[in-house]
Amino acid sequence: MQHPCPPPGIKERTQGQPLEILGAASAVQPLKARHLDLMMTNQHRLRCLMHCGLLVFAVFALMGAGADPASRFHDIGHRMMCICGCNQILLECNHVGCPDSDGMRNELMAAVTRGDSDSLVEQAFVQKYGPTVLAAPTTQGFDRTAYIVPFVGLILGAGLVILVVRAWKNRPTPVLADGINPARGADLQKFREQARRETEL
Amino acid sequence: MSDIGSYSLLLALALSVYAFVAGFISLLFQNPVAALAGGRERAASDPSFSGLLRQNSERIGETARRAGIMVFAAVFVAAAALVIAAFSNDFSIAYIFHHSNRDLPAAYKFATLWSGQEGSLVFWALLLSGYGFVLRLRYKTDPRLFAYAGVVLAAVQVFFLALINFAANPFGLLQGPMRPDGTGLNPLLQYPEMVIHPPMLYLGYVGFTVPFAFALGALIMKYPGEKWIHITRRWTMVTWGFLTIGIFLGAHWAYSVLGWGGYWGWDPVENASLMPWLVGTAFLHSVMMQEKRGMLKVWNMWLVFAAFWLAILGTFLTRSGIISSVHAFAQSSIGDWFAYFLAITFAVFVYFFLKNKNHLHSEHKLESLMSRESSFLFNNLLFVLLCFTVLWGTWFPKISELVQGNKVTVGAPFYNRVAIPVALLLLILTAIGPLLAWRKTSFESLKRNFLWPTIGAVAVMVFLMITPAAWGSPFGLRPWLDISYFYSLMAIGLSVLVALTVASEFYRGGRVISEKTGQGMFASMVQLTHRNTRRYGGYIVHFGVVVVIIGLAGAAFNQDKEKEMAYGDKMEIGPYTLVCRSYTDEEFPNYAAEWAVLDVYKNGRQIDTLTPERRFYKASQQTSTMPFIRSTLNEDLYVVYEGLNQDTGHPILKAHLNPLVMWIWLGVWIIIGGTALALVPNAPAPMRMPSARTVESRANAAPVPTAGD
Amino acid sequence: MTLGLACGLLLTLAAIYYIFSLPGKLYLGPEKTRASYLRERKDAVYENMRDLNFEYRAGKVPDADYQSLKASLQDEAAALLAEIARLEETAARKAKP
Repeated sequence: MQHPCPPPGIKERTQGQPLEILGAASAVQPLKARHLDLMMTNQHRLRCLMHCGLLVFAVFALMGAGADPASRFHDIGHRMMCICGCNQILLECNHVGCPDSDGMRNELMAAVTRGDSDSLVEQAFVQKYGPTVLAAPTTQGFDRTAYIVPFVGLILGAGLVILVVRAWKNRPTPVLADGINPARGADLQKFREQARRETEL
Repeated sequence: MSDIGSYSLLLALALSVYAFVAGFISLLFQNPVAALAGGRERAASDPSFSGLLRQNSERIGETARRAGIMVFAAVFVAAAALVIAAFSNDFSIAYIFHHSNRDLPAAYKFATLWSGQEGSLVFWALLLSGYGFVLRLRYKTDPRLFAYAGVVLAAVQVFFLALINFAANPFGLLQGPMRPDGTGLNPLLQYPEMVIHPPMLYLGYVGFTVPFAFALGALIMKYPGEKWIHITRRWTMVTWGFLTIGIFLGAHWAYSVLGWGGYWGWDPVENASLMPWLVGTAFLHSVMMQEKRGMLKVWNMWLVFAAFWLAILGTFLTRSGIISSVHAFAQSSIGDWFAYFLAITFAVFVYFFLKNKNHLHSEHKLESLMSRESSFLFNNLLFVLLCFTVLWGTWFPKISELVQGNKVTVGAPFYNRVAIPVALLLLILTAIGPLLAWRKTSFESLKRNFLWPTIGAVAVMVFLMITPAAWGSPFGLRPWLDISYFYSLMAIGLSVLVALTVASEFYRGGRVISEKTGQGMFASMVQLTHRNTRRYGGYIVHFGVVVVIIGLAGAAFNQDKEKEMAYGDKMEIGPYTLVCRSYTDEEFPNYAAEWAVLDVYKNGRQIDTLTPERRFYKASQQTSTMPFIRSTLNEDLYVVYEGLNQDTGHPILKAHLNPLVMWIWLGVWIIIGGTALALVPNAPAPMRMPSARTVESRANAAPVPTAGD
Repeated sequence: MTLGLACGLLLTLAAIYYIFSLPGKLYLGPEKTRASYLRERKDAVYENMRDLNFEYRAGKVPDADYQSLKASLQDEAAALLAEIARLEETAARKAKP
């Protein structure tokens, strides 16, 4: 009548543990110390920045590979869909009698335990189930536009807003619409005073 | 029943066609000089047919208005007929057969009206004519503007009623032999919230027709001034409020019923409801620019149109099956109807926009980039961009199919990556915007207003970072460990910033009144709010939004665990220990249920007993889960009964620990409260008389800027 | 069937009666003149002025900003008031003879 959702091999699993990056902090120290000893010319500063940038990049890149299998299973499993048509993330598919999610989870667990890299696992899944198995577009080829377009929109939009504000700022004089002329002379004083009086707190 | 229903639907269509045609003629032949002295007499002396129409244009218009009112009566009768058919188990009507059964509880029988394609269209038409009914009754506010809005509304009604009559008739009879019982309501929908979620959402969707009708009406008639937007404002707020409630009820339903431990899955149908909401929110902000400064007239026109259009597009997406979704509405040919309707409304709007756009010229000058005006511009940019991102993500699978020949999935990971940064920017703006003065703000003033809230927010962020993780989430937040923690920390920090700026607004305003009147601080703040309900109601909405966002930020710390549990087995998750006491099953008229009984321990003490459940609905032959959720302000313990392992006969249970979820529902209540407050009319501005005698009475009622923000 | 027919007929007749039995005089609302339009605009400017005054009192606007913003709002209000006064004067002159 129903099926047990967890893979038979795993009786208990915990998800959502934070990733610990051991060694990353200690790696920063010698590099930083060496550079502080040098005279900070502009060139050095630039190189230092580049090094730091590379280091940060490396740390992020290693984060996936260095993590334990359980959290990798959790991570990758949340980047894939169950293909049964329920439109749910693989690890969140709980619909009873699902014909696919069990097998997929087992495959994923096997791959992770084998130590396959993230991209290898993903490729294998795409080969087997087609590109819709990935929960989000990849960052290659045309798929990249999915990510680029919103940010291009943000930049263009922000540019447009700034242009509009500048255009409004540079409007010659605050013209009153509908042919209303600014008040002049005695009238101006009289009406300004009236407005002040009628709006004071 | 089916006779009465079918007939009233036809009558409603005929009446709405009349309301449209007669209203149109009345406006077409309205004598432009009639408004001037002597114009009516001159028109009366014209003997031709058009002269006759001209003489009577106002009377024709009045019949159109009344026909519009009667549309409501007719649609109401049709909807009532459908509900009565559901209650009387009239399974000769195909719709009732497919969406109800004898043992269905009464509330769900009522919900039959909107649980299927045809019925929900009738319900949509009912709400639309309900809005039209109220609008046409309130015509005295501005008869000419309301006449134009009424014609636009009638046109939309014609579409929906034609659709119902000719493509999706809910009163169609069941073919073949008479059946003793129906196939029942989808079990996922048999949940109390499902009885109110669709009506709220529909009220929100349908409601955007009203601002659109006013906007298009004002555009066509070249409405002088900005009063129309003032009239529309309240309608928009009501609509927005309903849509907000509808969206969050949907999220809460998904959380309580679907059993995957989450509340938002970025499904196309969810996205469809989010898009008009985002644009509507943008409009609620930018409308102030037009009211106060006469700016953004063109932009606002387009925003109103976009909100309406996206609401219809959402319906199109869910009904046409063009984009696959879990919300499995029957897919049918009515998708084409919506596609044509979308195209026609777009064409009509663009035509009138191009024709009359010169009327929407704005004249004001801006002094500085640092001003309330430009903060509104950025606010609008971000809201529209978010909407575009959601639209883009929803359509990307189609685009990908066209370009590279294969579909891709655009799920939660995509939106988390793209939408969260934009949402955080928006949160920054929510904090800064209200502190900026109109026209220009000097750096000094920004510093003065911003210093303390910033210090407070930074202090909270530092506190969250240095506390030990053992305190439970969100304490011990280490943003360098994971991008989601970083987002979470930023979201909480910025939320605190917004909350503090809101508090400072109330405090500063309250202080002015308190100084004037000598009242206590709290009484002064109440008075302050009453004097300008929109602004301070709006601040309360902002506060509710940040409470929601803190709740959303909790998702970064979600944990879950799955275990097969025999009698006495234990499962530990976070601070909780679950012990399986027993598991059993039972029969009910409408469904059969299996469930487990779990004791919950925390710090060695039993604190609760949970009964997660799984049901098998007999009529529809479908199963559904009933997760047990133990909600506290800190975290939700969410336990799902997944089923029995057939090899061992033991139940499999999945437990989720979802921190801060309750804040979301709490925040929504605050948002609703704020919106309701913003709808309350302002307390009248006190009389300002410069004579010495009134000084004392003036002191007792310190004036605050009324209306507007 | 007969019940359905009767109900439908009743509804139709009621609708027709309600739609076409118009009262002799219809409510057409006040006529919108240029003066009333200008008054609307004046109200908006006044509101902005009160707003500014209040924000200044609340300590949100520095003195220099306040003075310049107030001056420009007053100019705008004065122009509107002058125009309204001119229109009212013309109307009064027309009404006299």
